[in-house]
Amino acid sequence: MAIIAIFLGVLLVLSLLPDNPLYSLNWPLLSVTILCLGLLTLFRRFEKKGISSKEIAVIATLATLAAIVRVPFAVIAGIQPATFVVIISGYVFGSQIGFMVGAVAALVSNFFLGQGPWTPWQMFSWGVCGLLAGLLPARPNQFPLLLFAALSGFCGYLFGWLMNIWHWVGFVYPLNLQTFLATYLASLAFDTLHALGNVAFAVLFGPSFYHILLRYRKKLEVTSVIEQCKDGLYLDASSTERKLGN
Amino acid sequence: MLAFHEKFNLIHQLHPITNLVFTGVVFLLALICSHPLYLLVLFMATGTVIIAAGHREEWLSYLKFSLIMILMLMIVNVTFVHYGETVLYTGPRLPVIGELIITLEALAYAGGMGLRLLVIISIFCLYTYAIHPDKVLKLFSHRGGKSVLVVTLATRLFPLMVQDYIRITEAQRCRGVKFGSGNWYERIKKTLPVFKILLVSSMDRSLQLAESMHARGYGSGRPSSYQIELWRSRDFIIIPVLGLGLLSGLWSLMHGWSSYNYYPRLADFQSEEIIMAAVIMLTLSFPAILNWGWLKCRSLRSKI
Repeated sequence: MAIIAIFLGVLLVLSLLPDNPLYSLNWPLLSVTILCLGLLTLFRRFEKKGISSKEIAVIATLATLAAIVRVPFAVIAGIQPATFVVIISGYVFGSQIGFMVGAVAALVSNFFLGQGPWTPWQMFSWGVCGLLAGLLPARPNQFPLLLFAALSGFCGYLFGWLMNIWHWVGFVYPLNLQTFLATYLASLAFDTLHALGNVAFAVLFGPSFYHILLRYRKKLEVTSVIEQCKDGLYLDASSTERKLGN
Repeated sequence: MLAFHEKFNLIHQLHPITNLVFTGVVFLLALICSHPLYLLVLFMATGTVIIAAGHREEWLSYLKFSLIMILMLMIVNVTFVHYGETVLYTGPRLPVIGELIITLEALAYAGGMGLRLLVIISIFCLYTYAIHPDKVLKLFSHRGGKSVLVVTLATRLFPLMVQDYIRITEAQRCRGVKFGSGNWYERIKKTLPVFKILLVSSMDRSLQLAESMHARGYGSGRPSSYQIELWRSRDFIIIPVLGLGLLSGLWSLMHGWSSYNYYPRLADFQSEEIIMAAVIMLTLSFPAILNWGWLKCRSLRSKI
């Protein structure tokens, strides 16, 4: 991760210094490189983490669900129920699983809806939404509807803002504040629709989805505690109970 | 249900790495070249390969879809960019934008970038319809086993979950639920139980899936491989030619032939630019040319 950060830093500095071959480097290429390296780092982190078969199956299932709910709403520009599924997954199962659900949902749904230059950006944007949801403060067995709805609304805008980057750096000239604002202004209506849709989904589906997913999270936790017991980490019953939150 | 469908032609019979090399070369050249002639050549070469792969209809629907994006791109460029010496139209003073000035150079730049978008869209169209996702995922399975497994599982679960969704909605209809009636709020309320049931049944299946993986020895050692993609002569012929195309593009980049000055006034085309563009066209269209020979000549098909 440090190597990637240094590499990106050097690349960015060289692109700003005159009299070198990388001066005024191609920004579309640089943005795609940065994005792919970012995705690679987050996937690498997932690879290095000890993930059980249950967690893998849960991520695949939630990613598929997020991909499925995209299809009926694909005709309405802006409305993205997939964002809600990604956020609720991240909130219940944590940032790592939230990111994976978002990234995989974008990739898999595009196998059916059609891949495009937007795919890595969607992977990253939805991944970030899931990752952020995992950072929300957790309250045991209580669903913070207001906070969750606020995050859902924010993620609607964030998704659009991240997706606008590739459009701006790739196809607009010159890259200045005016064209930047114009690009973001052009997508404001869609982003607002996305945010409102997310809030509506959060209010309508949030509490019920939360309680269903929470039940399955507890099943995963039981498995992980048993596995840790096997490794000798939790040998007495009282600490196991504390871990389960009972 | 996958967008990919196997077809009888050379493009579909190539090794997935060869197909990835083609998409990678065109994608890279589309990003590093700003010259409209080079972008046009890339578009034509990609289009030729897509048609050779038998995906003309799908390509046209991709192009129609991208027209909306190009329109947005042109509006932003033409309205907000006042560079360029050839003024085509001077309009009234508008709030935020200022005086509306449309220049030929800004229009040409927007056209060039629209062409770049079409190339990128086309290359992804080829990737979607002519390369099997499983074959690509398998290439990365040794490096990112868990991530690839998640993507493969999700791809497999997609049609299964669609069937579940249809089954649940049919069951609800039998119980008298009319999904098409009522205002939008009532409609969403009616779909709420469908998604809840879908979520519960999918999560149950995920636990069964995990148990099945565990029973089959997941995580006990290195994964075994059941299918090996063969490298054939056709791959060894195509990859060097594509490499030549990439080198031509990089050579043009080093000499500044692949970039184009739109501002302050549109520059003229140089003979070197045209020659190198022709070389790129020829090398990148090579898979389509070979496909033609492969379909027409049986002896060639048997040899490569």
